[in-house]
Amino acid sequence: MLEAKDLLEQSKSLQSLAAEGALLAEDGASGKTTRVFMQEHSSDLFLAASQVEATLAQAKSEQPIVVQLRKLTVLAGRVSANLELLTVASREEQRVLVGELESAARACRTIGEALS
Amino acid sequence: MSVKNVLAVALGILSAIGGFVDIGDLVFNTQAGATFGFQLLWVVVIGVLGIIVYSEMCGRVSAIAQRPVFDLVRERTGFGAGLATLIASEIVNLMTCAAEIGGVAICLQLLSGLPYRLLIPIGVVGLVLCCWVLPFRWIERVFSYLGLCLLVFAVAAIKLRPDWGQVAHGFVPGAHDGGSLTVYLYFVVGLIGAAMTPYEVYFYSSGAVEDRWGPKDLGLNRVTAMIGYGLGGLLSFALMIVAAVLFLPSGISPQFLGTPPLAAGHVVGQVGLLLALIGILFAVGGAAIETSFAGAYNVAQFFGWKWGKKERPAGAPRFTLSWLVIFALALLVVMTGLDPIKLTEYSVIFSVVALPLTYLPILVVANDHTYMGANVNGRLANVLGTLYFIVILLIAVAAIPLMVLTNGGQG
Repeated sequence: MLEAKDLLEQSKSLQSLAAEGALLAEDGASGKTTRVFMQEHSSDLFLAASQVEATLAQAKSEQPIVVQLRKLTVLAGRVSANLELLTVASREEQRVLVGELESAARACRTIGEALS
Repeated sequence: MSVKNVLAVALGILSAIGGFVDIGDLVFNTQAGATFGFQLLWVVVIGVLGIIVYSEMCGRVSAIAQRPVFDLVRERTGFGAGLATLIASEIVNLMTCAAEIGGVAICLQLLSGLPYRLLIPIGVVGLVLCCWVLPFRWIERVFSYLGLCLLVFAVAAIKLRPDWGQVAHGFVPGAHDGGSLTVYLYFVVGLIGAAMTPYEVYFYSSGAVEDRWGPKDLGLNRVTAMIGYGLGGLLSFALMIVAAVLFLPSGISPQFLGTPPLAAGHVVGQVGLLLALIGILFAVGGAAIETSFAGAYNVAQFFGWKWGKKERPAGAPRFTLSWLVIFALALLVVMTGLDPIKLTEYSVIFSVVALPLTYLPILVVANDHTYMGANVNGRLANVLGTLYFIVILLIAVAAIPLMVLTNGGQG
């Protein structure tokens, strides 16, 4: 049974991964990174986000935090998919992903604030 | 300073770059900056001063007694205490070496795109070849001066235009915000532990013998310890400042070795990213060599075997076999799939527990007239040495409980 404290931890992890992905996508779009670094680092971020997604998908929680759990699970899927896309994204796609990942990071923060 | 002296300071720079800015510091400094902003900068100062005080002592002992510290520790403290110190330091050396090798493989992966598990043995073979082929002085020079690419983090810290008033405030210990007290204390312990890792002083001391320091080199010893570790401290400040400005506001909690170079790339561009990756590669590579050598030095000196890179590998076979075995064991540890970052956190915290066993004998030997004659510790060295030993005792007691209470700094 997932408690509010554990869910808060997961929301922080996901926020961190989404924000780092946004930073990486921004660097990719503005030519500040190498192709290899982009592929490898986004792949690390994707794997970590997938783990968060898997943990949340299998988790059960008490009634008061069920809504947050559901929202965060959906968000984790979105972040995970965006980070996977980042591993092969063109510059144009990277620009779009900056906004997507930044918005996901903000949404994670909002959920975290509701939990704390 | 002449070119010869600049090159001679390489020992301090390697010890500092490899010991101060190894994978442990990259992890702890960036995590501390991302969690507490500038508030823990004062801890880096404590760590830098501590390692300078004890390294200067070790270098002086080696220069005067013409023998490395571990050799004298064994002789001065007896078999039992010497053996306890040996076992503790070998466990920490092995864990640290494994973490550094993992770091080398990650850097190579981020540079080449080849699979991580393939790059682990390739990295180890590369390091073994460097140790086998290069003379001691060239190992120092290659790894220390290429590790200086890490100065890109200092450039990034300046370019980020932090609020320098707040940065200055971080050098004064005080109330904290942004995390719980236990997490704050965990980072205090981790940062001091990462700065004063035992292998640094063993390597520094044996390196002084390898470099054939004598009484005339006491000044060089002082300069080397201060410049080398001072530079390491500067890099630690830079890492913390970069993390505080770039990661803290967006809630990034660095969990990967690729995160600090990402910051360098973001601020300085593609060249900054590459410089950061090369700097980290040589810093963690240098630290892997230091830990394997420190382990081999300790074993050889404890059992009275012939030791040193000044000998050809066949001229000191048991010493050579020792560092090869440490590399091989570390390779096996990393190949099990353990996360190098987690391994680093554990190795730093366990090294904190072993710190008193390392630093008390050094203090004792540096005060022994039989070995040191007129060059025993002065009043300042003793006051600082004793104060630091009290700090070391306190953090050694607190390290494991804090790691458990905070779930490794997670809160």
